[in-house]
Amino acid sequence: MTKTNVNQGAKLFNQEVVREIEAQKERWKKETVKGKTGDGEYFSDSGIPVNLLYTPDDIKELNYMKDIGLSGEAPYVRGVYPNMYRGRLFTVRQIAGYGTPEDTNDRFKFLLKNGATGTSVVLDLPTIRGYDSDDPEAEGHVGAAGVAIDSLEDIEALYDGIPIDEISSNIVTHLPSTTVVIMAMFAAMAEKKGIPFEKLSGTNQNDFLMETAIGSSLEVLPPKASFRLQCDAIEFASKNLPRWNPVSYNGYNLREAGTDAVAEVACALANAIATSEELIRRGNKIDDFAKRLSFFWNLYNDFFEEIAKCRASRVVYQEIMKERFKAEEMKSQLMRFHVQTAGITLTKVEPLNNIARSAIQGLAAVLGGAQSLHVDSYDEAYSAPTEESALISIRTQQIIQTETNVVNTVDPLAGSYFVEYLTKEMAQRIRDYISEIESRGGLVACVDSGWLHREIADFAYQTQKDIENGTRKIVGLNYFPSEEHAGQKVEVFRYPETAEAKQKEKLKRLRQKRDAKKVEEKLNVIREMCHKDVNLMPYIKDAVLEYATLGEIEEVFREEFGLWQFPLA
Amino acid sequence: MQIKVVMAKLGLDIHWRGALVVSRMLRDEGMEVVYLGNQFPEQIVEAAIQEGADVIGLSTLGGNHLTLGPKVVKLAREKGVDALVIMGGVIPEDDIPLLKEAGIAEVFGPETKVESIATFIREHVGKTIG
Repeated sequence: MTKTNVNQGAKLFNQEVVREIEAQKERWKKETVKGKTGDGEYFSDSGIPVNLLYTPDDIKELNYMKDIGLSGEAPYVRGVYPNMYRGRLFTVRQIAGYGTPEDTNDRFKFLLKNGATGTSVVLDLPTIRGYDSDDPEAEGHVGAAGVAIDSLEDIEALYDGIPIDEISSNIVTHLPSTTVVIMAMFAAMAEKKGIPFEKLSGTNQNDFLMETAIGSSLEVLPPKASFRLQCDAIEFASKNLPRWNPVSYNGYNLREAGTDAVAEVACALANAIATSEELIRRGNKIDDFAKRLSFFWNLYNDFFEEIAKCRASRVVYQEIMKERFKAEEMKSQLMRFHVQTAGITLTKVEPLNNIARSAIQGLAAVLGGAQSLHVDSYDEAYSAPTEESALISIRTQQIIQTETNVVNTVDPLAGSYFVEYLTKEMAQRIRDYISEIESRGGLVACVDSGWLHREIADFAYQTQKDIENGTRKIVGLNYFPSEEHAGQKVEVFRYPETAEAKQKEKLKRLRQKRDAKKVEEKLNVIREMCHKDVNLMPYIKDAVLEYATLGEIEEVFREEFGLWQFPLA
Repeated sequence: MQIKVVMAKLGLDIHWRGALVVSRMLRDEGMEVVYLGNQFPEQIVEAAIQEGADVIGLSTLGGNHLTLGPKVVKLAREKGVDALVIMGGVIPEDDIPLLKEAGIAEVFGPETKVESIATFIREHVGKTIG
């Protein structure tokens, strides 16, 4: 029997039994519960009504093989791989990044020695926003909150002694304009080391929402330009870097900025839709690039809703890829995602409580079938993690992996009436939100008009009001606040203050020794190509090989694409 | 007299949620708030002069508070602006005395009630010593 033989009408439960349960439930409400349901109504974090008790009649429409299925098969509710964590455990991926590339290289080596199974780097703000360390705009930011990268030399120093052909490298480039340059540098480094592109595995974040909606800045590229660069990176990787994920649609930061779980997934999917349409317009086939698209979710404390979100996101994605874009290959239809626990849920008061919060969120990620995980550290509201707090995060992951046994069987919460109900409900709400975005002209238009910014700002405002008036309860903050324990002493992480001077010195030497004329030539080619319907990646790679800096390349973008007024007031 | 606030994201820091939410909630408290978006000290002080601001609000989670924060106060005082300068964001406890010494009137960390920021402003506005 093949999967296509599934009886489309076969329901999970015998409908006669369901009717019996419905009748019994009515009786139970009157005779047994008798109004003892507690006060008021209950809702999940994103507003889904939650009943007292779930039974088969709440999911009576489900057809098991069609709507849920088996692991490694459509619609992938139960997970993207048949053997899930028995085949490969989720990657323990803790972000690191501060100071000079040499400083971060040391932290990489510390994390790998203690059991991290991949690297994940975060860049400093000048790098993310496209300025060199010696740019006046960079003052005060170099090597703070991330590592400073100015040229190919820095990427080489960052990965010195790291086996990039064996372990995967996650690079939190955030913005497409940063991604195209950093990805070009990474490819150029491999080329120089003689490592074939097929051996490179890793991920770039690359999301135009990060550039134009989620994070604000002084000089922002227009949404259309940022979206074009996002697509350039994806197209280049799909043709040249077969094991690279050129995008990680960033639901995470959108959620941190201010959305619920539904909008988080819907916006990321709407971006995947926009990308697919654009790449198809450029003459690519869906199966050429879809298998390398990946996602990035944020898991809050609403345990079951978050697990349901992970499961639902796979179903909706599969539908989109199969039905809308007619993807044929299985790999083009399965959604792989990274999870980071929710920084915004961590408190400054009684910071050690955050270890419990992060562990619960991390467990939800694993029960939701995540491919890789970053557990936030308890000192989130104080500074970037110290070595000590980062180690607790790794240990939390290892405890989930080895001591809880939750990884032994696939999707263990499947079949829970509540979890299946929530999964179905989340999926429907995600579809509806995508329709809303499309009715407004698609995601790029929703950013251009400022609609998405307003959605985020309204949500953030409402959340803060709910915390201040106590409707949203946070332990230790507005629920059982304890003055004597509030001020636990936390050791903070200090960014090395010497990074700015060191990076400036390196840039000075670089600008003296490189061939200035060649750099100028290569930058001019990029300038010209900005106005043509071509992929900019090969030209950017040529320029970084001549040691054009990140800031110089991005200055070309700013001049040629122009700047855009960030629509917030 | 309605209190006028200019609110800015300091330098390149990208996290706008806090600054925007505080801006809106200070408006709910009856203040006039001009949200400047991301700006460097020179532009922030320039805007404070143009708007005739009573308060300059600086928001940062990016680790630039010690370099750029005091610069705003210094530039403001040089230009004869006596506005109250306050700061919010993720800022290590140990840095707060340094910021206050440099003339930042108060530093509000995560979990501060906006109501208490408003109270602070009302109690201190107009009392800055230039």
